Amino acid sequence: MRVMWLVAVNTFKETVRNKVLYNILLVAAVVLLLAMSFGDLSVMSRVQVMSDFGLATMSLTGLLLAVFIGVGVLGAEIADKTVYGVLCKPVDRIQFIIGKFSGLFVTLALNFLLIALIFIIAITWMVGRAPSPEIFSAVFLLMAEMSIIIAAAIMWSCFTTPTLAAIFTLSFYVAGHLNDLITLSADVQENPFTKTILVILHYVLPNLEFFNIRTQVVFGMPVADGHVLTAAVYGALYTALLLLFSSILFARKDL
Amino acid sequence: MDSILNIDNITKVYRKGFKAVRVNAVTGVSFGLAAGRITGFVGPNGAGKTTTIKMAMGLVRPTSGSITLMGKAAASPASRTGVAYVSEQPYFYKHLTVSETVGFSARLAGVGSAAAGAECRRVLEAVELTGREKSKVRNLSKGLQQRLNMACGLLGDPRLLIFDEPMSGLDPPSRRLFRTLFKKLGDEGRTLFFSTHVLEDIEAVCQDVVVLDGGKLRFTGSVASLLEKGTLGTEIVVPPLPGKLADELQADGLDVSRSSSDEVTILVPVQKDLALCQRKLYDNGVFCLSIQKRTMPLENLLYGGDDINRADAVNNGTDVNKVNDTNAENNNTGGADGKGGAK
Repeated sequence: MRVMWLVAVNTFKETVRNKVLYNILLVAAVVLLLAMSFGDLSVMSRVQVMSDFGLATMSLTGLLLAVFIGVGVLGAEIADKTVYGVLCKPVDRIQFIIGKFSGLFVTLALNFLLIALIFIIAITWMVGRAPSPEIFSAVFLLMAEMSIIIAAAIMWSCFTTPTLAAIFTLSFYVAGHLNDLITLSADVQENPFTKTILVILHYVLPNLEFFNIRTQVVFGMPVADGHVLTAAVYGALYTALLLLFSSILFARKDL
Repeated sequence: MDSILNIDNITKVYRKGFKAVRVNAVTGVSFGLAAGRITGFVGPNGAGKTTTIKMAMGLVRPTSGSITLMGKAAASPASRTGVAYVSEQPYFYKHLTVSETVGFSARLAGVGSAAAGAECRRVLEAVELTGREKSKVRNLSKGLQQRLNMACGLLGDPRLLIFDEPMSGLDPPSRRLFRTLFKKLGDEGRTLFFSTHVLEDIEAVCQDVVVLDGGKLRFTGSVASLLEKGTLGTEIVVPPLPGKLADELQADGLDVSRSSSDEVTILVPVQKDLALCQRKLYDNGVFCLSIQKRTMPLENLLYGGDDINRADAVNNGTDVNKVNDTNAENNNTGGADGKGGAK
């Protein structure tokens, strides 16, 4: 536990001192400014536009962070051999992987909270009332989704180059959001082989749309009872599985 | 004596490129390190030294064979308790400062948070980096980064210190500092194992030596026994020899050569009877102009191709080629001096 904590703290320091993080936050700030001006042009209310933009921004920044920092957090360690300094000490590789994940996840969570806070303050200041409390559920589910993406970025980094790992992570994200379409395709397939492949893909890939309650939040629609908790458990289990798989791969890797 | 690191018949095969071509980095290497001794690890570039060290540290998995470190399997993290590794290049997190780097390393090495501060000051003082605690690692010169690397290796009172070419690219003051440190660590009873190209360091610091070449073990034993292997015999310089004395001496297995118009050099290998040769010369009225021990430089012995074998051949009076063949076979089956020679 102590080792994981040390690795996590070091990873957190590394990411908060990374210029990429501030560039991503800059993107979020630009989107905020755009959202404030788009509010008047849209048929939706200003709160709806800003909530929608806010959640979309968090999703985008989370993805950018997971891809650009997440891949580098392990890939660069292996490429730069800084990993030697840690693994030559009495440190298990699984502790290292979990520590890396935790450090990056905390950075992402703080980043999300910061953006959410800015948006909530902006909305409250502009329209004179706070947005729906459901927005916090949406942020929470975005975090769960991003924990899967970070774990995936770490897993790809275990056996390929940082560039390929970034491409694979982006593809994983896109495929995860298209999971419902994969099910639909499998249903209409007549070729049993293709059907089997699509069914396997449906079960292997995460269903990232499960974490998306943006529409409900923006339009004030109710979120199904227990959905947030189910999605959070699903996210945690999927993340744990990816981290376990990463640890197995990393334990077998020659450094 | 206890073996603190035991390498048993390890082989590492890498698969390179798209066609996964086999590359044998290390083949059937066995040796052990005795506790409390300083052992040098030498061999030319590509000999497999770094791969062997990485396997010992659990960074690379051997294709076959086994390694125990501090009595535990090298793959287990627990085996690295009390072991320090200093890599050839300093690999640091560039976002950290000197004190953060040492602090992080200390905590990973198992130093408690209360003792970490004092421990960091102690090692930074030992490598003369005091006053640079707040500097970013990326702003340090290569030499200073290597000192910092050494400082991280000294943390947590390690029993075994493994260095991979620790002095490469260092300026003379840093080399001097490192040599002094090695001696001090050795005097404290710690076990040191370091790879180097600089044979001067081996002679000056090490008690034992392990020689690797082409991924195979060529020698393991004490530095003194290696130097002994380099003793070719006794060289006697005499005036030109009368009659058929030269032929007689050659028939006795001595090497006779004319070094100049009025001098002949006779090499008496260590196995031959020097007194008998001197008696024969005396009986024929030949008096020695000079007599001295002839040894092979350590550099030739280690890097001169088959010179370790040639020295054996000269000393045994056997055919060099036959000795080379025999040694090659021995290396394939675990080494002539074999497993645990450095013990």
